[in-house]
Amino acid sequence: MSEARQLIATLLSSEVRGELLVLFHRNSGLVDTIDGVARRIGRTGLSIENDVRDLVKLGVLKTKKIGTSEILLLDRLRDREILQAIANHVKTVKGEES
Amino acid sequence: MTSRLSKTGTSTFEQQFAGRVRDGVRVKTGIPELDEMLRGGFMEGDAVLVAGSAGSGKTTLALQYLVNGIVKFGEPGVYVTFEQMPDQIYRDAKNFGWDLRKMEDQDLFRLVCTSPDLLLESRGENLLDEVINEIHPRRIVIDSLSHLEMFVEKKDLRKEAYRLVSYLKTKGMSSLLIWEAGQMTGTSFSVTEVGLSFLVDCIVALKPVEIESTVRKALVILKMRGSDHDKQLRQFQITSAGIKIESAFSNYEGVMTGSPRRIASEKFMELFRGASEKHK
Repeated sequence: MSEARQLIATLLSSEVRGELLVLFHRNSGLVDTIDGVARRIGRTGLSIENDVRDLVKLGVLKTKKIGTSEILLLDRLRDREILQAIANHVKTVKGEES
Repeated sequence: MTSRLSKTGTSTFEQQFAGRVRDGVRVKTGIPELDEMLRGGFMEGDAVLVAGSAGSGKTTLALQYLVNGIVKFGEPGVYVTFEQMPDQIYRDAKNFGWDLRKMEDQDLFRLVCTSPDLLLESRGENLLDEVINEIHPRRIVIDSLSHLEMFVEKKDLRKEAYRLVSYLKTKGMSSLLIWEAGQMTGTSFSVTEVGLSFLVDCIVALKPVEIESTVRKALVILKMRGSDHDKQLRQFQITSAGIKIESAFSNYEGVMTGSPRRIASEKFMELFRGASEKHK
């Protein structure tokens, strides 16, 4: 499986991960704790923890320490790279189909 | 003294120095009538409280102040929101013809959506440090100071707000702080109950007023430290291009109290006009 395909599969294989992606894409200036982010999609911190870690591992989100709190924010640069990789992959797939 | 170099090659010392405010310099809002009322604009580095009830036009005024700063005066700006999600703000701004996403791509604007407790965190790095280093903003909007109440005890609110205002001033930013001020009616007019009016340098109050069964919007400058300013209550409208300030409510009295009535001379003139019409 190509890197881009693997990336897409990882990003979209969980509903919560999809919700988080949409949230941060629409609101790229969002900076909040896990609990704060969870509240914004109507969930609890505990229920999104694993998906958040996956997105941090992929580099879409980054974490930062502000005082005693750990905050989450979108890595705009990495996000652009990922979007570009996905766009290229979609273009290739479309080319193969036609 | 060692000085670290930033991405743009300027040292932190230079950035600190550049952050200092210049005496006598005015920060124009870009709304001509308002700048005239302010005798040229807000004083650079001042903390301005924009108080008003829901739907009075606080957010529109704040966005227009930032957008005009970027487009007309080349001053980058930051909008910090505690409640409204950025995608709503992008959408609402677009309705006025302001493309905030494009400004963000050009590193002229940042929209930060966070919780008040994170912004108030005093240990270590401040939440805004990264944004400040990225775009070197000259203007900032905090929407809203009222939200601090949810995270800070009432007795500490003034102290925490003071710390926030001081931080923004140290960074050399001219700040516009939004305050949700209930209905602001009655004869004793107070903007906040926690004494924030003494903390800020300038207060702009927005309020809806009912005149002849129509709700109109009014704006008044209640305070401007170290400067003369227009004292009149002006009518304004929110147009497709933003806020447009119109004439003063010159024929009415008691507009601030919520019970406006025509002034006696105006009533007399009306009667006189009516009588002369009859004689024609």
